[in-house]
Amino acid sequence: MADIVLVGINYRTAPIELRERLAFRAEHLAPAYAELQGAGLPEALILSTCNRVELYAGTPAPEAATRRMMTFLQLRGGFSGAEGQESFYAYREPRAVQHLFQVVSGLDSMVLGEAEILHQVKQAYEWAKEHGATGKVLNGLFQKALNAGKAVRTQTAIGRGGMSVGTVAIELAQKIFGDLRPYTVLLLGAGKIGEVTLKRLMARGASQVRIANRSADRAAAVARRHGARAVPWEHLEQQLIEADIVLASCSVEQPLVTGEQLHRLMSQRRQRPLCLIDLGVPRNIEPSAGRADNVYLFDIDDLQELVAHHHGQRQQAAGDAQTILDHKVRCFLAWHRQQERRAACAPSASELVGAR
Amino acid sequence: MSLWLVLHITCVLLSYAAFLVAFGSGALFLLQERQLKHKQMGLLFHRLPALGTLDRINVLAIGWGFALLSLGIAVGAAVGHAVTGRWWNVDLKIYGALLLWAVYLALWLLRVRATLRGRTVAVLSVLGFGLALIIWLGVNHALLLGPLTL
Repeated sequence: MADIVLVGINYRTAPIELRERLAFRAEHLAPAYAELQGAGLPEALILSTCNRVELYAGTPAPEAATRRMMTFLQLRGGFSGAEGQESFYAYREPRAVQHLFQVVSGLDSMVLGEAEILHQVKQAYEWAKEHGATGKVLNGLFQKALNAGKAVRTQTAIGRGGMSVGTVAIELAQKIFGDLRPYTVLLLGAGKIGEVTLKRLMARGASQVRIANRSADRAAAVARRHGARAVPWEHLEQQLIEADIVLASCSVEQPLVTGEQLHRLMSQRRQRPLCLIDLGVPRNIEPSAGRADNVYLFDIDDLQELVAHHHGQRQQAAGDAQTILDHKVRCFLAWHRQQERRAACAPSASELVGAR
Repeated sequence: MSLWLVLHITCVLLSYAAFLVAFGSGALFLLQERQLKHKQMGLLFHRLPALGTLDRINVLAIGWGFALLSLGIAVGAAVGHAVTGRWWNVDLKIYGALLLWAVYLALWLLRVRATLRGRTVAVLSVLGFGLALIIWLGVNHALLLGPLTL
């Protein structure tokens, strides 16, 4: 009878100082899997992300396997004696299965419902398969867990809506323009929050980026870092005519852009849509600018309210997600037991040879 | 002759289909635009496409609808000429078709020349399809009552 066991640490049980000592990079996997196979764990899988390092195994001797997995991780992290011992958790079936299904669905993530974990688990599973480290038990477990993760994402609101000001701003811009690649982004001010949001926009495809700042040197420095173009602060109006997305994060006493000015500029823009994201306090853009047709203005309060709203929605969705997962876990366990019974009833190869 | 009549009917029907697409994309544009202006990111926000996508569909549909309607009217006039010997038959249906043609021509030109954009075009494409329906139903209703000549 093969049992499923899990040993690991995560962001809840261990600080980053401990987690980083255990983290596996891709190039560490080949020797690690060889070592696990040498330690009598032919079916084992390493899941290493920034929030967790977990080791899953399918084994007929769960207690001995758990001890070996724990030792493997402790040696890898260079832990001496009892160091970090309270940070490790060890689960057996069915708890180990429930845990994996929750992890895949983002229910165990620091940012509830985040999508990245599904890709990370898939990648970890593919790597393990490449290293010949998965068998019938782990193949079944991970394929069903990945399916459960996808089902939870499509059937509940767990992954819906950005969870930070930056991601919400990008979602809004994408719902105005669609593909961001052909559009021009103008960053007003070279502060940290603007730069972070700009980086995210560029990660989503925005490539035509201009930066205007009162201090031209600072604009040039930020522009160099991001492969963007620094533009003169004095040409602000012309830049507002040409840009499609404006990220404003200047420290100002009076708004940089007034409502009346924007109404005038919109006709010069030939009514091309304009997305204004005002991250500044005091606000950089007068609220009346948002009333113009084809202008979509979001200030920091709007973005923060949307983040809070999404957070509440995800908390609610977590309940629905858990119901789906409970069902999927029950189905997996029933399937797993059936496989085990079949394996127990089937005659082994040596018995077949003997019968001849 | 019947082939020309089939072409006439096909073009007009397809133009109505294109105007229906313009109506649909316009209506969805208005819904999504409302979500964005009111800063709401609910189910509708996530399910509906981006405004830019809806706008592109809308412009294409208006352009194709207008081109097909133009072709349909031209072929219809030729068929009418072959049957009656006249290019111009005074008929409620023809007046309706020409009104619709003029409305969509204006809408298409205004959008392509970027005089109007976004919300206004979406509203007009919804209203335009309303007019198309009124003409379609009105003409058919009038035909049921008997041929109407002005």
